[in-house]
Amino acid sequence: MKDIVIVDYGMGNIKSIQRGLEQVGASVILSSDPVVITNASRLVLPGVGAFYDGMKGLQNAGLVNAIHDFVRIGNPLLGICLGMQMLLDQSEEHGIHTGLGLIPGNVKMIPESNHGEFSRKIPHIGWTQIKNPGFQNWKGSCLDDIQAGEYFYFVHSFMAVPEKKEYLLAQCEDEGLLVAAAIKRDNITGLQFHPEKSGKAGLKILHKFINT
Amino acid sequence: MIQKPQKIDYKKFSDDKFDEVKYGLPPEVKFCKNCVESNQRPSTTVEYHHKKDSKKETVFFDENGVCAACNFSLEKDSIDWDARDQMLRELCDKHRRNDGRYDCIVPGSGGKDSIYVSHLLKNEYGMHPLTVTWSPHIYTEWGRKNFDSWIHGGQDNILITPNGRVHRLLTRLAVDVLFHPFQPFIFGQKSLAPKIAASMGIPLVFYGEHEAEYGSEVENDDESIQDNKFYSDVSFESMYLSGVPVEELIQDFGIDKSELQPYLPVDQNIINDNNIEVRYFGYYKKWHPQGAYYYAVENSNFSAAPERTVGTYSKYSSIDDKIDDFHYYTTGIKFGRARATEDAAHEIRSREINREEGVALVKKFDLEWPERFADEVFKYLSIPENEFPSASKMFEQPIMDRSYFEDLSDSFRSPHIWKREDGLWKLRRTVYKE
Amino acid sequence: MRNIRLIARLDIKAPNLVKGIQLEGLRKLGDPNEFALKYYLQGADEIFYTDVVASLYERNSLLDILEKTTNNIFIPITVGGGLRSIKDVAAILRAGADKVSINTAAIKDPNIITAISRKFGSQCMVLSIQAKWQGSYWEAYYDNGREHSNLDVVEWAKKGEKLGAGEIILTSVDKEGTTKGFDVELVKAVTDSVQIPVIASGGMGEINDVDAVIKDGHADAIAMAHVLHYNNLTIDNVRNHCANNNIPVRVYTLTEND
Repeated sequence: MKDIVIVDYGMGNIKSIQRGLEQVGASVILSSDPVVITNASRLVLPGVGAFYDGMKGLQNAGLVNAIHDFVRIGNPLLGICLGMQMLLDQSEEHGIHTGLGLIPGNVKMIPESNHGEFSRKIPHIGWTQIKNPGFQNWKGSCLDDIQAGEYFYFVHSFMAVPEKKEYLLAQCEDEGLLVAAAIKRDNITGLQFHPEKSGKAGLKILHKFINT
Repeated sequence: MIQKPQKIDYKKFSDDKFDEVKYGLPPEVKFCKNCVESNQRPSTTVEYHHKKDSKKETVFFDENGVCAACNFSLEKDSIDWDARDQMLRELCDKHRRNDGRYDCIVPGSGGKDSIYVSHLLKNEYGMHPLTVTWSPHIYTEWGRKNFDSWIHGGQDNILITPNGRVHRLLTRLAVDVLFHPFQPFIFGQKSLAPKIAASMGIPLVFYGEHEAEYGSEVENDDESIQDNKFYSDVSFESMYLSGVPVEELIQDFGIDKSELQPYLPVDQNIINDNNIEVRYFGYYKKWHPQGAYYYAVENSNFSAAPERTVGTYSKYSSIDDKIDDFHYYTTGIKFGRARATEDAAHEIRSREINREEGVALVKKFDLEWPERFADEVFKYLSIPENEFPSASKMFEQPIMDRSYFEDLSDSFRSPHIWKREDGLWKLRRTVYKE
Repeated sequence: MRNIRLIARLDIKAPNLVKGIQLEGLRKLGDPNEFALKYYLQGADEIFYTDVVASLYERNSLLDILEKTTNNIFIPITVGGGLRSIKDVAAILRAGADKVSINTAAIKDPNIITAISRKFGSQCMVLSIQAKWQGSYWEAYYDNGREHSNLDVVEWAKKGEKLGAGEIILTSVDKEGTTKGFDVELVKAVTDSVQIPVIASGGMGEINDVDAVIKDGHADAIAMAHVLHYNNLTIDNVRNHCANNNIPVRVYTLTEND
């Protein structure tokens, strides 16, 4: 079953994700209809922009419960970038704001320096390698076809800090700092990087997502 | 005595109907269907006969509403340029000298066009050019830099700079009488090269573009030759410079006859005796301004101007004289179309842009007030007593300032082109929609 | 050091890819999508599209081109040129762009930087600065290199960062299109003054030009146009050179995308 629903709540580069998914064989529906969303066979939560605006967008469209319901049913959910960050409990971006609370943890600002040693440029923009920190197997996840050390495109100023290490699926290193590249809890996966913007490597992930 | 401009009566401009049509221009303003030029555009004039009340010949529009310049340009499409190139080679073979003397003259300023012509002649056609420059009124920084790098890049050059005082006086007079600050430059531009050709025995002169590229009529059978009416064949007594009879310039304005040398035409006998040929390079090579820019940048140190040229969108065309801004502005006042129109029309014909884009460019830039050098130019156009003891007495207001210039502008506006609405000047007809 | 990004810059005058010299005299080179696809397959890290005549004709016509590009190119795309309002930006992002590049609108009203960054995130707000050397400082130009702003580039960059820009693309008006090398001094002056990534643009001619602008100029990314469009270099040429010269770049093998 390859019908994927992308949550359309006014934020995020949905066109690109749609194209990426179609490229790997999915037929895609963009929707802001809670019923469609709850009953999707697979759901993608995109997001580009600020956490508060993202959550407000979901709330205004009446989609928070729909997403929770979807998760309860147990089908695979993929959050991308801001969509990944919103899976957590809360974020400190522009104040403290509540997220979807689907994966325990917070979203924090990427620190500008490691103990005052040097300055790191914010946002973290560019192609960075990911690796498996060893808490979860990539097999059976959407990273199944990925090898450690493959490059993906990141662009973010805030990072997910899950409460428990076992939610970490992949990490990357940004100038000495370990950053959560992917998190997973049961049927919920979040990717900090943009698979739809990461060339063939990213397409492999999308392909896996629609086929598990 | 040059009177200062009177405030004009706006009534002539405020009605929908107008009584007066200045300069013998076509009463109804029309725009070319192909480019953006208007039918008010004057053809290239013989400046020696140019007086205040002269009637202008304008560019011809055919029955389809297409201007002569566009038609000329279309003809260029069907020209066999290989054959023309062959003709150029033969012409060069005929004139080439290998005994150490110059064999041709290239008049120019160090702009993209003169670089193109001089470099090609020297490097591709084996000629030994002498470049000849008639100085701009007031060099721009980048214009002077381009001129220097042209010469230092490997071209021989003679630069003739007219007597600064005389030049200023003639320019001021040209502004007051004809509203044409560029005229003194034109005299030199057209006559200098043939004069040098005659005096140094170099019988071949290559100008660039044919006047027909701008819509002037081609009167010669041989389109490659410049009509000598532009640079010779005028008797001293019948001559007008700056719209003033030469005798008056000498008697009333304190100019010595010898100081008029640079502005005078060439004696036609000298041209004939020396078999001087004044030709257009553009006859032999398809003229393409943007192509010349690329050629210049790739083959020399030519640089575009660091800022957009006033009144237009480009940065690489005719950028060496600060007076230029005013030249085009005054043209705009008199004929309702100015630099952006000219540049856009040219680019439409060479297919760099389409008409819609040309219209947008005219709307955005045409007739822009030339603020950047205004103070300097007004100072240049002033005739103070300490610098001009006799000439200053001939002006009711020798010092030029902005308000004088504005009043003067108004006196040259024609009611068939301009109207006065809500305290502002507006063009009655524009190529763009408001 | 983060991996340096190799960016292909395409100046567009719809529907053509164009290229000028010192932002003047635009020559048509062909279909932008063909070129963009070629660069994607060569391993470009990002694509930058600029509508270079948007300010002349009061339009941004990149929507169509963008739509086609997103069909088969899966790397980040930044779009600039004539974007004047939040509405313009929203439309471009919705059409598939990941980031927007703003110059003229920001100079005219710097608050737009904050507005865009607040609404869409600072990572999507790239401040485009066109810099021209004026003898003792660099001046920021707008309207695609036509108008001067009297703003000092370094001060303007700092202000842009404060207002919320996520990145700067810094173009040397003097060098661009000349293939005479980057203006390394310019890049360094800006990278020394801001904490956000700076993309160096304008002047790349030979493969060695990369070294100075990264090592001395501290650029985080380079944008290439002329050298790519005229096939003097390919992106993988540049990538290999970086890899062999201690410049960290992503590993990309040519056979990856087919």
